[in-house]
Amino acid sequence: MVEFKDLTVVYNQGMENERVALKNVSLTIPEGQFVTIVGPNGAGKSTLLKVILGEVQPTSGLYIIDDKTMNCMKPHRLAEFIGRVYQDPNTGIFPALTIAENLIIASKKGNRPFRFSSVKEEAITLLRDLGLGLEDRIKTKAGELSGGQKQSLAMVMAILSKPRLLLLDEHTASLDPDSASRVMELTARINREYDITIIMITHNMEIANSYGERLMRLIEGEVVNDGIREILSRATSVMC
Amino acid sequence: MAILEQGLIIGLMALGVYISFRIVDLPDLTTDGSFALGAAVAVRAVVSGLPAWVAIALAAGTGALAGSITGTIHRKLKINVLLAGILVMTMLYSVNLRVMGGPNLPVPRVVPERAIQSFEEMSGSTGLESLFEEIDIDTEKRESRRTVVAKNIFNNDLDGSDLTLIILVISAVTVVLSIALRSDPGMTLRAFGSNPSGVVSFGISQNVLAIAGLTIANCIIGLSGGLFALYSGFSDATIGQGMVVTGLASVIMGEILLGRVKLFYGLLSPIVGGVIYQTLLSLAMRYGYRIGFLASDMKLLTAVFIITVIGLRQLSSSGRKRKVKQEVKRLWSNSKI
Repeated sequence: MVEFKDLTVVYNQGMENERVALKNVSLTIPEGQFVTIVGPNGAGKSTLLKVILGEVQPTSGLYIIDDKTMNCMKPHRLAEFIGRVYQDPNTGIFPALTIAENLIIASKKGNRPFRFSSVKEEAITLLRDLGLGLEDRIKTKAGELSGGQKQSLAMVMAILSKPRLLLLDEHTASLDPDSASRVMELTARINREYDITIIMITHNMEIANSYGERLMRLIEGEVVNDGIREILSRATSVMC
Repeated sequence: MAILEQGLIIGLMALGVYISFRIVDLPDLTTDGSFALGAAVAVRAVVSGLPAWVAIALAAGTGALAGSITGTIHRKLKINVLLAGILVMTMLYSVNLRVMGGPNLPVPRVVPERAIQSFEEMSGSTGLESLFEEIDIDTEKRESRRTVVAKNIFNNDLDGSDLTLIILVISAVTVVLSIALRSDPGMTLRAFGSNPSGVVSFGISQNVLAIAGLTIANCIIGLSGGLFALYSGFSDATIGQGMVVTGLASVIMGEILLGRVKLFYGLLSPIVGGVIYQTLLSLAMRYGYRIGFLASDMKLLTAVFIITVIGLRQLSSSGRKRKVKQEVKRLWSNSKI
């Protein structure tokens, strides 16, 4: 379970250009829930994401995963709990390494002892499930894959270490419609089959209205809508 | 043969540059300082009577220390890696002068086996005591001041033994690196170079990897500095000047010849590049005067070479992109028809 209690983030506090990015945000996301967050630019989506990743410390309030307070935890320590996929397909993978090497790195969290690991069977199964034929090309450099393939590989890598939370930041934004819908299907399947909590940030209302069970809208750092996706998307014609 | 031997040692230095610039993608300028540090430490160690192999190991170790300092300054103090490298390189200039005890230091043909340094050591008492009582100088101690031939690992005889030794060292370094970079930590080091922020997603500390990468790179550079000094028979405060540019030129030459290929060949490319660079350098120094080149022009030529190669690469890649755009436009207009 992921919880935010009265989370407030103020940039440049006490200075002339002080800006409140998040205002007393309180949320509880139960285990396995798929939450979509939408909102215009400057709404606080990226700040919330940075707080979750430990890149920004909240000015006040608490950030809790499974009853453990995550405030002040270093980003690489938080990675133990969080998988992430970003907008740019090259940021979730290691382009200069082969697919196999990418999967080996993703299989384990933290700094590693001197060992020679091989690709886990589970990783190959996941890759096979994608149906992209990547399991036959594991010696190929990841940088040589197409955008959709890279993003799918990044998704597989993000869930290999069984994170508590999967964070998706506009992860279909740079893909063509076909690849985007394939990646979204994979996202929904991961949520269904692996019971991983997902927080997805998107500007694409078509995706926001079609995937996930909970929809949330942020405006000027405050949660203005929060509810079951099917009800909210019917009630609000234009949310973004 | 001397060109080949020198080229291989320069190639080893270029391998260190390859690690920092290509594997961990950190443009490290410590190179000039750590090469000179390796040279200074190796010669000082031999002068002090230590075996040459220990001197070489010390050169590698101090090079590694210099690299780890650059890495720590860069990561912990959040100083840009270029500036961190320049700062450490500047510090090392003074350190090297101290290590050598002057601007240069030759590898002696002979070293004292038991050098008596002071009156106190010979007499067994202080100079102050001698004012009050008669001091009996121990003549045996004086007689023990014998000398032995310094055991350099290089004989400069062009009989192939130096070449064999250099090839052995380079082979050992390349094979160990090739194996280590395929291990789990080695793989994460390459991953860091490929996508530095990506490693954080997998719980790996960027600090550890950046410091480790620069430590390994400068360890190899220090080692090559030590070998170069013992091979040349001296160390000099300016011995490392321009080494980072030479290393880069060697890396680029190797990549032109072997291409950006698999890991093992990738590690070999700067060594091949180093040999070619040294050959071209020797040819330019030997015949260049006919067209007005001076030996002192080499640094200028090396830098111009790097700019030309990088510039040509950029131009050819932008040309390729333009071609692709034109092709896409053509296909698009055809499909409309």
